[in-house]
Amino acid sequence: MTYSIIARCHRTGRLGIGTTTTSLACGRRNESVRPNVGISKSQAMYVRAHDPRALNLLALGFTPSAVMRVVEEHDDNFDYRQTGIIDREGNAVAHTGANCGKWAGHKVGPYYAAFGNWLSGPAVVDGLVDGFLAETDLPLEDRLLLALEGGRKAGGQKTEKNPKAERSAWLRVVDRQDYPEIDLRIDMHTNTVAELRLLLQEFRLYQAYYRERCRNPQEAITEEAFVAQLAASTREPCSSAH
Amino acid sequence: MSYGIIARCPRTGRLGLGMASYSLAVGLYCSDTARANTGVSITMGTPNPGNNALAIRLLAQGFPSAQVLAELIGNDPNSDYRQIGVVDREGKAVAHTGAKTRPWSGHRIGEGYVAFGDMLAGENVLDAIVQGYLADPATELEERLLTALEAGRNAGGQVGSSGRVPERSAVLVVHGIFDYSDWDLRVDKHEKAVDELRRCHEEFKLFAAYYVERSRNPREAIPQREFSDMLAANRNRKNP
Repeated sequence: MTYSIIARCHRTGRLGIGTTTTSLACGRRNESVRPNVGISKSQAMYVRAHDPRALNLLALGFTPSAVMRVVEEHDDNFDYRQTGIIDREGNAVAHTGANCGKWAGHKVGPYYAAFGNWLSGPAVVDGLVDGFLAETDLPLEDRLLLALEGGRKAGGQKTEKNPKAERSAWLRVVDRQDYPEIDLRIDMHTNTVAELRLLLQEFRLYQAYYRERCRNPQEAITEEAFVAQLAASTREPCSSAH
Repeated sequence: MSYGIIARCPRTGRLGLGMASYSLAVGLYCSDTARANTGVSITMGTPNPGNNALAIRLLAQGFPSAQVLAELIGNDPNSDYRQIGVVDREGKAVAHTGAKTRPWSGHRIGEGYVAFGDMLAGENVLDAIVQGYLADPATELEERLLTALEAGRNAGGQVGSSGRVPERSAVLVVHGIFDYSDWDLRVDKHEKAVDELRRCHEEFKLFAAYYVERSRNPREAIPQREFSDMLAANRNRKNP
C-alpha cells in the first residue's frame, strides 16, 4: 500500500521523490535517492538493500533498464516487488510484480515514473501523473506534492473493500550537493498528505532564511527575531505606519 | 540551533544520533551523518550541511576522528559558528564548539559519545543528556539516544532571547551493519517535538520486525492490516 512519484526536473535537473503509504516513517529511506546519480524506489514487499545496490549500478554507468534486469535476475521474489528507477538524465523505468496486490500499476513518462500498489484503481496513478504535469513551471517539490494530492483525490489506497489511510509521507529533492534541498517528512499522522502540504507551506517561509544563515552566519539574525518578523508580516500585510 | 547526542554503541558498534531543535525539520541537516563501520558526525550550531558527507568520507579514508575534526574546521571560514561532533568506528569522540555559537553552548565528550548544544538553558542540560544516555547501557542505542533527548528537554532545553523556546522538530537515526539505516524517525514540525518523537518511536517499535520480515519472506507475510488488527487485539487483552 503505497504510491509514489520519482522525477527529474526537466528545467533544472534536480531529482526528487514524493511518496505516501500506510506504513510508518516511509521517509526513513534516504538510501533511495543519490544526488548526481539517480533514484531507485522499491516498494510493495521491498528489500532495503535493493535501492542502494541499484544506485551503485547506475553510478557505474548502467542504464535504468539494465539495472532493473540485474535486480530481477537476483531476486526470487521479484513478483512481490514494485520499483521505479530514474537516472540523472531522466531516463525512467518501472516494474510492478504480479503479486503486488490489487490494484497495482505504474506509468512512465519522459522524466518521471509514477507507481503504486493496493490502490483503489488505475485512476490513482493517472491522478499522480496529472498532478505532476499540471504546473510544469513550478519547483519540483511542488509538482511532486501536486502529484501525491492528485493520487489522493483519485481514490488513494484500498484493501479489498476498505479505503486505507496514508500514515506517512515524504518529499525529498536533491540538486548538486550531497545534502538535500528539500527533505520533509510526516512519519505518523491521520491526514498525512494534507499535513505534508501544511509542512511544505510552513517550511517555505523559512527556507531562504535557513539557507542563508548556514552560508553566512555572521550576518544572520536569530531565529526568534525571524519568527517575530514572520508573525508581524502576517498581522500587518501593508505595514506603513512606523 | 539544537541540542543532542551522537554515539557509538559499545556493545554492538551501531552508530547514531538524536537531535532536537527550535528550528523546523532539524532532520534536514542530518543526512549522511552515519555510515556502518565508519563513524558518525554532525555539524550544528549554525549548520554547515556539506560537512556531514565530507566527515564520513574522511572517516572512510581511515582518518581518526581528531584529524577529521581538524580538516572540517580548516575547510570552513565560519567554523566559529559551528558545533561539530565526530565519533569514529573505534568510538574515539571529539568535538568543537565555535566561540560564536549562541550561548549557552558547549559539549561533553565521553567514551564513544559527544553531547552538545547551543542556546541551552545551561550546562545542566548537557549533564542531563549524558545522564540520560548513560542511564541504561543494556538497551538499544535508539532507546538510549531518545532517553538522552528527553533528559535534555526536562533539564530546560533551549532558551532564546525571550525565554524558553519549544522543541519544534526532532530526529533519531541509528545505523547498524547495512548501507541503510536501522532506525530513522523524524518530527519536522510540532509543538512538543520530543514527545511526538517518543510517540512515533513507540509505535514504530511495534512494526519494525514485521517490516523487516515481510520483505525477506513476502510469500509468508500477512497483510499489514491483519498485523495491525493483531496488535490491537493484544492491546485490548492487556488493557481490557
